[in-house]
Amino acid sequence: MNRKKRIIYILLVLLVIAIVGGFYGYKEFNRKNESLTDATPAFKVKSTDLISEFAADEKAANTKYLGKVVQVAGIVKKLDKDDKGFYTVVLGDTSSMSSVRCSVDSLFTAEITSVKPNAPVFMKGICTGYMADDLGIGADVILNRCVLVKD
Amino acid sequence: MKRLFVFLSITILAVQIQAQDKYFTKTGKISFDATTSKSPENIDGVNKTAICVLDTKTGNLQFSVLMKGFEFERALMQEHFNENYVESNKFPKSEFKGTITNNASVNYAKDGTYPVKVKGSITIHGVTKEIVTDGKIIVKAGKINAVADFSVALADYNIAVPSLVADKLAKTASIKVDCVLEPLK
Repeated sequence: MNRKKRIIYILLVLLVIAIVGGFYGYKEFNRKNESLTDATPAFKVKSTDLISEFAADEKAANTKYLGKVVQVAGIVKKLDKDDKGFYTVVLGDTSSMSSVRCSVDSLFTAEITSVKPNAPVFMKGICTGYMADDLGIGADVILNRCVLVKD
Repeated sequence: MKRLFVFLSITILAVQIQAQDKYFTKTGKISFDATTSKSPENIDGVNKTAICVLDTKTGNLQFSVLMKGFEFERALMQEHFNENYVESNKFPKSEFKGTITNNASVNYAKDGTYPVKVKGSITIHGVTKEIVTDGKIIVKAGKINAVADFSVALADYNIAVPSLVADKLAKTASIKVDCVLEPLK
């Protein structure tokens, strides 16, 4: 009797583990990329400083920033809208060809249209890397899935 | 005075013609798909921040794309893509450098759809290979839409597929390019 009870108990524990594990696995499998609104930035940096860091040593900057949430403060050079309706906020010094290009999370298209050129803004996004200026179109640091940071 | 005006107009016109040889975008779309018939889900991702430059005079064409910029529907798939397959920390960028081999048959001044052949070298995961593919140049209202669809064998680029997922992940990925280029001023 005692032995039977113990087996049932063990089976129950295993069942619970399987259910919890299965549920966790299912959730993990279906996990979506969350919006960065509540994400804590790993770095807070000025757009011009970010550009010079990449220009000075792309490898070191890649190691530091790639895949990280970065909050950038800068002056809006322009707001780009592409053929599919996606927005990019271009930050940097208007006298320079180099920029930080913030590709805006499509969930936040509506609020980004209020951004005006020459205004200072804070943008938060995932740093995906650096496009050196080997094509004559200016060097860019790219941030993806960007959101506007309100203070 | 009149002569000066004519001279100025010609100069301005000449500058404009020269400047319009090159077209570019920084918001090109490049997507890939490695779904098989046995995949339980779509294995595809899209990148909206590809750079593309086309010199209409020579037919020289370049693409540059940051691997971390590929977005997936599932976050876990995106992490696996970056960490296990393309190793985007080690190889952050993929590039294509080539030419449109039948560039002379495209009339960039006239709206229309022109079939093109593109030849060049593509670098993915640190491996460079020669490729030839068909594409389309669509000229419309002063903009150029460059479209191509080709496939790459993952093994060619040293991208290992674990046997556990071998029947769910295609051995060749189809890559779609869709870039709307504007004149470089």
